Amino acid sequence: MTDMTKEELHRGLADAVVNMDEATSARLSEEAVERRYDAFEAIDHGLAKGMETAGRLFEEEEYFVPELLMCADALNAGVDILKPHIKRGKQDIRCKIVIGVISGDTHDIGKNLVKLMLSSSGFEVVDLGRDVPPQSFVDRAVEEGAGIIMISSLMTTTMEGMWEVVRMLEERGLRDRIKVAVGGGPVSQGFADKIGADGYSPNANHAVRLAAELAATLA
Amino acid sequence: MNAAVVDVMKNGAHTLPAAHHDAGLMSGLADDVQRETGFENFGIPFCMTVEAESLGSSVDYGTIKCEPKIGKESFPSVRDVEFRPKRAIEKNKRARAIVDAISTLSQKYPDIPTIGAITGPLSTSASIVDPMTFLKELRRGKNDAHRVLDYVCNQLIDYAGLMIEGGADVISIADPTATGEILGPLMFGEYAVPYLNQLADAIHKLGIPVIIHICGNVKTVRKGLAMLHGDALSVDAMVSLGTLKSEISGLTTMGNLSTYMLEFGDEEKVRSGVRSLLGQNIDIMAPACGLSTSTPIRNIRAFTLAVKEGL
Ligand code: B12
Repeated sequence: MTDMTKEELHRGLADAVVNMDEATSARLSEEAVERRYDAFEAIDHGLAKGMETAGRLFEEEEYFVPELLMCADALNAGVDILKPHIKRGKQDIRCKIVIGVISGDTHDIGKNLVKLMLSSSGFEVVDLGRDVPPQSFVDRAVEEGAGIIMISSLMTTTMEGMWEVVRMLEERGLRDRIKVAVGGGPVSQGFADKIGADGYSPNANHAVRLAAELAATLA
Repeated sequence: MNAAVVDVMKNGAHTLPAAHHDAGLMSGLADDVQRETGFENFGIPFCMTVEAESLGSSVDYGTIKCEPKIGKESFPSVRDVEFRPKRAIEKNKRARAIVDAISTLSQKYPDIPTIGAITGPLSTSASIVDPMTFLKELRRGKNDAHRVLDYVCNQLIDYAGLMIEGGADVISIADPTATGEILGPLMFGEYAVPYLNQLADAIHKLGIPVIIHICGNVKTVRKGLAMLHGDALSVDAMVSLGTLKSEISGLTTMGNLSTYMLEFGDEEKVRSGVRSLLGQNIDIMAPACGLSTSTPIRNIRAFTLAVKEGL
């Protein structure tokens, strides 16, 4: 074992994520466990911080999709080790989110990045995959007790399906309890407003801030 | 580029999704498209899944409004890809229908160019291997990733050969997953450029010109673009073709009227869009990327008419 303070270890974890280094992420996570450092803190102040940086680098076009995905794998390598050691009660799950790509559309790279950024910042994300009918978004959100539905669409011909989700929530009297956020190439803030969605964001990094804002309004 | 918009099919007896399977319907639809839109060529097929289907993936053929889509990529990782024997695409019934439709069109209309459209090596590969794993493996499993790309590329070369035998005058390669927005400059240089070039070179050997289309914003991959061997480069609407032309000497440019404008704008907007493009000395005027199936035919007509009048 090296002689590392808790802060140094957190920094090491963050760097391992940014450097796409799964092995180091796993090794330092084990070290955190052995030293009985708080596991939740190691994730929150270490791994997740690294993912935040990776998300920023993606937004700034320093990193691209392959790099961001590799960072996520490094993060997960650490989380897998640390998670069983989180003291109960400590892990506050921020809010459950149901995410998917609307029916007719199989473009799922953007959705997957959004999901990955959300789960690395403490949201519990249920992924419905791609080509998902509006009804399934609503049904699954109810089943899962989700507070937010996030819908992705890359095609002008399918984005209307998002509207359908909002309408269904209204019909079922769920509009106050379940927030809707939308995104993807042709989607804009204007479109989100038009269909009565609660939020829009242009990229995966910003989607985390958006989800946090929406979760806060639920409380 | 798929130009079989719903408006065209409303007026004809040739409709999708049936025409994805049948040579007669496909050439009939291509004929309708050409006549109704005023485009100066035929372009088939109307889908980007036949290559991946031939190499193992399942496909949902969609509806009149919705293009075919991959149901499931057949391999979880580049390591699992099952290499089919050479000329695998030829064994697919839809691929044979496409080649037959090309023959029909090129024989019936020798004066109108028939363009055979091919899905590029990266997009095809990421449509047979789970795309998320595939994108990671571009960095993590380089050897296997290159092996898959090389395999896919060789299958595409055989398929292009078949289209050319059938009478295709031009081959157009679109490779959406190879966009700089997804790959970034490094991976674009390592994977997009060499395999697109391998394919283009093989087509050139058969004496046929190649259009290469790269989606999305290309600002991070300009260097790579300059290395492509296509005869014409087509890019999306956010790219200034005028600037690109000044940066890459001898470049033949194609594009790039916004497909969003074509769908949601009106005829006047389309005409003013064309005027501004004419000012950039674009060599081949075309929509910037794939047309939405809901694009109104009057806007497409306004586009082709304005281009012809401008000339
Ligand atoms: C890659 C790609 C493909 C790949 C998809 C691989 C995959 N598994 O996803 C393949 C080759 C399979 C493909 C197929 C097709 N494609 Co395509 N494709 C693209 C392309 C070039 C890039 C999309 C992408 O992945 N970008 C990278 C990611 C990271 O960005 P993103 O998705 O925008 O996501 C970011 C943000 O938008 C945001 N975000 C995304 N979702 C959400 C959700 C929420 C809630 C929030 C908050 C944020 C958010 O965060 C993400 C990360 O920062 C786009 C063009 C473009 N410039 O967008 C065309 C494009 C989307 N495709 C298009 C078309 C037409 C097709 C096809 C129909 C082609 C055909 N003729 O057969 C088929 C689709 C079949 C179907 N029915 O689904 C058109 C759509 C036109 C339209 N009607 O609007 C586009 C716009 C290009 C064009 N003009 O032709 N395509």
